[in-house]
Amino acid sequence: MPTTRTWLQAGGGTVVVALIVAAVVQAANSSATWVSNDPVGQCGKTSGGQVVAAQNVLSAATGLEPVDGNWDAESEVATRAFQAYNGLPVDGCVDTSTWVTMRALAISLCDPDYSCQGPDHRIRYAAADGARDAYLAENDCDWGSYVLPGVARSPVASNKIIALSRDAVTEIECGG
Amino acid sequence: MVTTIDEPRIRPEWLLGGAVTLLGAIIIVVVTMVLGSGEEEPVVVPADATELTAGTCAEDLRQPHWVPDDVRRAVVECPDEISAGMGRTTAEDHLGTWITYVLEGPENEETFRGGPGPAWPEDEVRSGAYHPASAVIYVAYPGAQELSGKLAGDNVTIEWQDLKESGSEARVTRVDNNGFGPVRVEWTDDAGSYLLLSTVGRTPTANAGPSVAELIRIADSVAADDE
Repeated sequence: MPTTRTWLQAGGGTVVVALIVAAVVQAANSSATWVSNDPVGQCGKTSGGQVVAAQNVLSAATGLEPVDGNWDAESEVATRAFQAYNGLPVDGCVDTSTWVTMRALAISLCDPDYSCQGPDHRIRYAAADGARDAYLAENDCDWGSYVLPGVARSPVASNKIIALSRDAVTEIECGG
Repeated sequence: MVTTIDEPRIRPEWLLGGAVTLLGAIIIVVVTMVLGSGEEEPVVVPADATELTAGTCAEDLRQPHWVPDDVRRAVVECPDEISAGMGRTTAEDHLGTWITYVLEGPENEETFRGGPGPAWPEDEVRSGAYHPASAVIYVAYPGAQELSGKLAGDNVTIEWQDLKESGSEARVTRVDNNGFGPVRVEWTDDAGSYLLLSTVGRTPTANAGPSVAELIRIADSVAADDE
């Protein structure tokens, strides 16, 4: 007959294992949500959170403005310029290869040992007047976009985290 | 007896000569200044890359001692500046310090003129004629011992390369798009975790940005701090 202590130990162990599994699944999903996005552009999504993410990166890489979650001719030209410079096929479609190339540019703001949450990654390009930045939120936010004032336009709010989703532009809350 | 003392007289020809001489001197100075302003400043390549960050918060940071000759300046961002720049307070104690080394030269200069749009000719865009400025970003996370999460994708290659000076290894992550694309070099030592990021860019005339070998050399030069 198991004692109360044994039950408590078993229960505690189960909780720990569940937490570890949840963390691994979360980490796997966080990585997957960036590199396996839907295509964005005339080849795929033309509005929504994934468009915001692509436009956010392009704003830093090419000076594209505004970031509003609606794909347009300017977004396509910016994508073509980004693809050409990075050696990608130039088709104006943000496909998997283009997503991965964009993802590689994101640098953690906090040290890799620490989860600082919220907008914790940045893409930076040097520019004549200083630099162009785009912020992203990895931890617990599945690479949500964090768009700076002056670049964001409604329905995208600045300094809010916009979910990297195929759905409409949606603000999400993250820790930190 | 009357003594006549001649008062000194300034003769008109002396005045005229002096005025002409003064005018000539002024003309020479002005002409020299005008001509000199059009000349290029002499290029001074620092003997040690740490000179580029002298007087900043990165002064005492473990950082590269070598950068390519195309680098003439560096922009340093301290944790408090990063936190303020993003308009959101975050854990400054855990933020890295960023040094952006800007590369000079025609192929490395930004070619954007206004925002992207129909004014950018399709064939020029396709050739890579519209591109950002090239830079090498170095980030130091003092006290950290981990690297960032591994990147995955069909066009991603990851390999470990020896840093001969420091005796350690760096993880080199490339998004290899026909030889172009982003390159990340990451490593740790007893003082922290480090990252170098740049892009091998495609332009109509030449590659932009540093080579992978140059990035490795930059990384390896950080260890020279210990000598």
